[in-house]
Amino acid sequence: MHHVIIGGSIAGISAAKAIRNNNANAEITLISGENVTAYYRPMIPVLIDGQKAEVDITYPDDPIEKYRLNAVYEMATDVDVQSKDVLLSSGKRIKFDRLLIATGSVPIIPDIPGIKGQGIFTLRTMEDAIKIRDARSVAENAVVIGGGLVGIKAAEALKSTVNVTIIEKLSQILYQRLDRRGAEIISLALKNEGITILTEDSVVEIIRDGGNVKAVRLASGSTINADIVIIAIGVRPDMDIFKDSGIKISKGIQVNELLQTNIPDIYAAGDVVEFRELLTGISSVSALWSNAMEMGRIAGMNMTGADRRYPGFLTVMNATEIAGIPMIAVGIIEPEGREYEIITEDSIDSYKRFVFKGDLLVGVIFIGDIKNAGIYTNLIKNQIPMGGLKEKAIEGTMGYVNFIN
Amino acid sequence: MKQIFVRPERCMGCKSCEIGCAVQHSKDKTLYSAVLQSPAPMKRLFVEAGENIRMPIICRHCEDAPCLNACISGCLYRDEKGFVRRRKERCIGCWTCIMVCPFGVITRDREKHIAVKCDRCHKLEVPACVNACPTHALVMVDVDEMSKEKRHMVILTESKAISHQ
Ligand SMILES: Cc1cc2nc3c(=O)[nH]c(=O)nc-3n(C[C@H](O)[C@H](O)[C@H](O)COP(=O)(O)OP(=O)(O)OC[C@H]3O[C@@H](n4cnc5c(N)ncnc54)[C@H](O)[C@@H]3O)c2cc1C
Ligand code: SF4
Ligand code: SF4
Repeated sequence: MHHVIIGGSIAGISAAKAIRNNNANAEITLISGENVTAYYRPMIPVLIDGQKAEVDITYPDDPIEKYRLNAVYEMATDVDVQSKDVLLSSGKRIKFDRLLIATGSVPIIPDIPGIKGQGIFTLRTMEDAIKIRDARSVAENAVVIGGGLVGIKAAEALKSTVNVTIIEKLSQILYQRLDRRGAEIISLALKNEGITILTEDSVVEIIRDGGNVKAVRLASGSTINADIVIIAIGVRPDMDIFKDSGIKISKGIQVNELLQTNIPDIYAAGDVVEFRELLTGISSVSALWSNAMEMGRIAGMNMTGADRRYPGFLTVMNATEIAGIPMIAVGIIEPEGREYEIITEDSIDSYKRFVFKGDLLVGVIFIGDIKNAGIYTNLIKNQIPMGGLKEKAIEGTMGYVNFIN
Repeated sequence: MKQIFVRPERCMGCKSCEIGCAVQHSKDKTLYSAVLQSPAPMKRLFVEAGENIRMPIICRHCEDAPCLNACISGCLYRDEKGFVRRRKERCIGCWTCIMVCPFGVITRDREKHIAVKCDRCHKLEVPACVNACPTHALVMVDVDEMSKEKRHMVILTESKAISHQ
């Protein structure tokens, strides 16, 4: 049985691991478009200011050796679902019995005059981070387009030597991760670190001088000097090559609970997948590391004959630290509808927001104090009734002991 | 394999286990110097009180550990004895593990800016918490020899939290 995986990041690697664990003899080929040892993608921001080096963010054990994979460092360009071949950029074909699509996602590039050419960066790959690291050493001013997590990470990595301005089209940063109040707290902390944040404005033109980026023009009319521009307005599933393959695609690659596409021997996992959001049932893409890891594992097990059902993912399940403030957001943050109850707790060093639906907790935000957050995540993910614990949950005195009977 | 087994009916809530843990994870591993150490050494287990119950909440070194599955840096790993441990130098303090541990037993080291969790005193025969407990509410149990009924109980409490992931 020949298992072929397109994409050598977390979804592809955890699938390879599951396949190897279930089948010591299977032939597994990993096609990786990035010509580097597998690495922890969420870690790339720490390369920019030299906090860590490349070796610090690659896998401690190379999965190629550990799981005995055939590694192919090339781009796949198409899949022939009839003959069961993957086509490669070199013109070679690889035959598969089972295929996993784990191509992840790629940054969305806005269509702005001047966006093509020198001085424009995204932050998705190790190579991207290295390019920004190189540019940082000679840059004075940077503009980050997009006030989401990736944009903020980029801004923080640049701020010690570069003037950074974040431009956010919406009226708050971290939209869909934080509510307005939470975003205000984080904005203030970022501003105190010297980062400028402009909301309700957008970049309409990149101004160049002899090819080099000089400034950006904003919708509001003003211009901001910049020698580097970082695009961080979001990602989309990387699935263009499958457009005409016969594999069903909408927001992402569509799969059933087994993570199988409409073609029985072809599976998909990770950022590229479209599946139901756990709480709302809405068909979505996930864009989260832990979800990609879980999907990869389940797909890998099913490719080797198991019958594991994937329950769906939470699209909001983020933990991070920004400007020295720890924050966690899980579940439904901005509910629509009267059946939801929202309770907030605001104090000097912490902000908490709880979203309940009857006796169920469906969303939380913790800023500052994140103690015991996992207990709340567990309640949300598994929709465990609060019983009499709502008050304690809000007070912050709920612990695991309260669930033992 | 030997596992730490908690017997809540015996726990008095004296927190000796917490102290034993903090001392074991202090610089000189003595109570005297641990008390003086600044910042204070951190414990990895937490005595909690419920309605009719008191007990230490400990890391289960879960079979399908949510923290390990979610760690974005390769810091958390399973060692050769099956314990979920840290490669400290890799941790960047992103707190993803805190977000997903269903038992709430990972905390922040604010000084070093890294996650702190139980290492099962991997160098010791008997973990410090078990050693410190005067009432034997914490005991080492050979999972293979444990009575069927009890084993079922342990597995039940574990899988209750884990199946949730
Ligand atoms: C800066 C940054 C910070 C992040 N922080 C967090 C975080 O804190 N928490 C969190 O949960 N998530 C975070 N994420 C998101 C997380 O990294 C992704 O959800 C995760 O990497 C998705 O894994 P994946 O395996 O599905 O896809 P990807 O990691 O995107 O990998 C897909 C791989 O497939 C390759 N590929 C694509 N097409 C082809 C082809 N045709 N042929 C061959 N190879 C191909 C790509 O080159 C890539 O290497 C972050 C992402 C970034 C960029
Ligand atoms: S999830 Fe919690 S209890 Fe389980 S291994 Fe990790 S720290 Fe221990
Ligand atoms: S805080 Fe450290 S150990 Fe925890 S998930 Fe992040 S990098 Fe891993």
